[in-house]
Amino acid sequence: MMRMDLGTKLMVSLLAIMIAFMIVTPFLPFYDPYGQNLAGSLVPIGGASFDGRLYLLGSDTLGRDILSRLALAGQVSTLIGLGAVSVSLVVGVFLGLVAGYFRGPLEAAIMGLADLQLSIPRVLLLIAVSAIVGPSVANLALLLGLTSWVSYGRVARGMTLSLREREFVLSARTQGATAAWNIRKHLLPNVLPQMLIVASYEFGQIVVMEASLSYLGLGVQPPLPSWGMMVSEGQSYLALAPHLAILPSIALFIMVAGLQFLSQAFTSEGDVTGAPQRTP
Amino acid sequence: MMADAASRDEDVILAVRNLSIALPGKDGPALLVDDVSFDVRAHEVFGIVGESGSGKSLTMLAVLGLLPPPLRMVSGSVKLRGRELSGLSFEEMRSIRGKSMAIVFQDPMTTLNPVLRVGAQIGEAVQLHNPGMSKQDVRNRVIELLTLVGIPNPQQRYRQYPNEFSGGMRQRVVIAMAMANEPDLLIADEPTTALDVTIQAQVMRVLAEVRRRTGAAMVLITHDLGLVAETAERMAVMYGGRMMEQAPAHALFNDPAHPYTAGLIASLPRVDREVRELFSIPGFVPDSAHRPGGCVFHPRCGLANDRAICRERRPEVAATSPGRSVACHFNDETAPWRAAQERAMERPVEARAPSVADDSEPILRVVDLRKEFQIGFSLFGFGRKLPALRDVSFDLIKGRTLSVVGESGCGKSTLARVLLRLLEATGGDVFINGEPFMQMSGPLLRARRRNLQVVFQDPYSSLDPRMTIHEVVAEPLRIHGRYDAKRVDDLLAHVGMPPQTGRRRPSELSGGQRQRVAIARSLALNPDILILDEAVSALDVSIQAQIINLLKSLQAEFGLTYIFISHNLSVVRHISDDVIVMYLGHIVEHGPVRRVFETPAHPYTQALLSSIPHPQSGEESRRKRIILTGDLPNPLAPPTGCAFRTRCFRAAAECERHEPALTARTGADHLSACHFAGQTATARAPGDEG
Ligand code: SF4
Ligand code: SF4
Repeated sequence: MMRMDLGTKLMVSLLAIMIAFMIVTPFLPFYDPYGQNLAGSLVPIGGASFDGRLYLLGSDTLGRDILSRLALAGQVSTLIGLGAVSVSLVVGVFLGLVAGYFRGPLEAAIMGLADLQLSIPRVLLLIAVSAIVGPSVANLALLLGLTSWVSYGRVARGMTLSLREREFVLSARTQGATAAWNIRKHLLPNVLPQMLIVASYEFGQIVVMEASLSYLGLGVQPPLPSWGMMVSEGQSYLALAPHLAILPSIALFIMVAGLQFLSQAFTSEGDVTGAPQRTP
Repeated sequence: MMADAASRDEDVILAVRNLSIALPGKDGPALLVDDVSFDVRAHEVFGIVGESGSGKSLTMLAVLGLLPPPLRMVSGSVKLRGRELSGLSFEEMRSIRGKSMAIVFQDPMTTLNPVLRVGAQIGEAVQLHNPGMSKQDVRNRVIELLTLVGIPNPQQRYRQYPNEFSGGMRQRVVIAMAMANEPDLLIADEPTTALDVTIQAQVMRVLAEVRRRTGAAMVLITHDLGLVAETAERMAVMYGGRMMEQAPAHALFNDPAHPYTAGLIASLPRVDREVRELFSIPGFVPDSAHRPGGCVFHPRCGLANDRAICRERRPEVAATSPGRSVACHFNDETAPWRAAQERAMERPVEARAPSVADDSEPILRVVDLRKEFQIGFSLFGFGRKLPALRDVSFDLIKGRTLSVVGESGCGKSTLARVLLRLLEATGGDVFINGEPFMQMSGPLLRARRRNLQVVFQDPYSSLDPRMTIHEVVAEPLRIHGRYDAKRVDDLLAHVGMPPQTGRRRPSELSGGQRQRVAIARSLALNPDILILDEAVSALDVSIQAQIINLLKSLQAEFGLTYIFISHNLSVVRHISDDVIVMYLGHIVEHGPVRRVFETPAHPYTQALLSSIPHPQSGEESRRKRIILTGDLPNPLAPPTGCAFRTRCFRAAAECERHEPALTARTGADHLSACHFAGQTATARAPGDEG
């Protein structure tokens, strides 16, 4: 098992607790995340409404329970994140492997596309496209995914460039292996572990990106909550009820930071390229 | 104790006593170096030989106080001119390093700082121990040092960066730095391993020259028995972290007292005799965490005969005669045992039947093969062309072994890759079994590739780390949809690996075992021709002999044809039927191995052959050496006329005007490309047509 320092352990366990909380909350007798209660709007943390209902983490302007909304929003954010990461991983790894293995004009085209995409600010691109296709959870995941393949593509191409000259790939070629064979049997398995590290980092980025889109009203549409949207809604009441914006921000932070630490712990595990440790 | 008397002796510069180095681990510390003692006397060259993991380099790092953590010197003493070094502070050690002792490492690139000018780096070394020296004096001293190590135009070279120097020149710079303060002791750790043979000879001569001028003693650490035999006066053999034997170099080679030493010497292929099979030490070098108890060498020792004392009691290093010591319970049995081995090996080689069908079609025919690399691209697509292969032509008959030798940059590896169609040729043809191989493409090419298989040099990079051994060997079968588990087990058995090995992963195997797996994989498709691209070069001597023997027996069993690419001429002499010598992309000589080795026609071949060390003859062979001057010319601007003329000791005006063609000049089957082919410069007996 990998070794973690204290800070990493702390952040990763916080993340684990939060994920567990997101999963179990719908099965516990908390309030309905959509249920409004006009007698209980803007209840502070641990406070009760006029009709005597207790809100563990308070309520929002419409009297909806923050605790259960946080859990639901977390699920939405995670789902979008996972979807987007899978899309970008598949696209990025495929393009990266193809560019690195075949070289030549194909590589130039793919890497040119990557540079082009990087030169346009991602948020701008997202705003433009989501304004056209219209926001939905699936569209959001797809869009976020398609705009973040570049980091996978670059790392995968870089690794492929060195792997394709390694003797085990060359000898497979001399045995009559096709390009597809080499990519599937040798390159993909050796590139994938590194890709998962990139993914754990990118996941956090995507959750933040989704939050900013939702904050701008281009992401998840109400009444479905996402953390970003909750922050944006809570901002208007920062003085009156600061927990509305702060709680989802904390959740966001735990998610991003926890993943960051986790991916760092993976990276420091060493053996990233799949290169064997040489015995002296 | 005798040892104490010796260390008080004025003559002894470095005295190491009972040195042990440990690596802390979960189950207790592992001793990487275990109770090692030796003396280095003034002005002498003391050689330390050992295979990887023997602890030879660690020992000298400990002497220098440079052990990388977490390694620790756990016991013992190191005295330099009677002054105890162990326990000195880092600062104190630093003032000793560079001043009283200096080190030359294997790789000059890691020793030199790439962003500092060469002159400034040597100047730093000078100033470090002479802080008061004036700028002009430092500069003069640096130029003096550069001249000492034979760097031409030191005034200009002074201002250049390390990457503007060739490998051999860089190593000279490192030697100049090491000699900056005229140390008493120079420690050279594999100083020429990364260099080509002709450059190696130059660097060794520079080392000898600077030592002659300054009188420094030298410790030469190497795995190369031949090199140490030629250079060292006394030497030590290490194995598994322990000292096995110490003796004067000549005595050690001619009459080794330790069975390990005897085995190592016997496993070296020799240029001056033919044997059918090399002696090989069985098994493999144990890793430091799992060293056997008793005598570390007992699982591999041919003398142990399963005697309990070898398993149970560790043999102490004991003096056998003045100046000689050995750590073996039965060292008096070594000589007779060795004689018996020699007799077994010296069985005459039956002249290789000029194989089955000498006059039939060659299995491989290479015609005017050319390869040019495009170097650099400009906006308009003009790049320079680097010719790596120029009109290479040869035929190869089934069942024979053709070796291709030459220094790095001569094109031998490019030749392998072009033949394998890993690189596309620029021109020329290759016919395998009469079929034009270069024109094939698509499925036909993929199907025909099976005829030509390859084993690469690096056993660490040739197996996919994520596959099991079984999957590695099965891969070629699967590619062609012919997977058969039993066939995989058979293949493993052919290379001496039990089928259970199939479940393991490459990282669990030693270098020699991996190379066996790579060979098994290359045989899976029943190839006609196997290209062995430096296939034994990365292996330890004792393992190298095992693999060579395996290759020879597989060849006999399957009627394989080998193309053996190597820079190790002794191995080439042992394994081949025919030899091609390449220089700057040209074939300069081609002929049967005996003819080429006994009566080399081309001056380059003559120089290469004279650079082979003969461990047994020592002094004598040193005198006959031809040392080529200069480096390989820039391949982008090769010399006009004969490509070799810039380094040739026989060049005449003719050579500049006309490029010599490769033709039969000294016998029907002995081709060479030199206007003055066959004139001998060495003291070799001419006309020995064997
Ligand atoms: S002590 Fe025994 S095992 Fe060790 S080298 Fe001598 S004979 Fe061989
Ligand atoms: S042709 Fe001239 S330069 Fe070339 S190898 Fe022969 S003697 Fe030397």
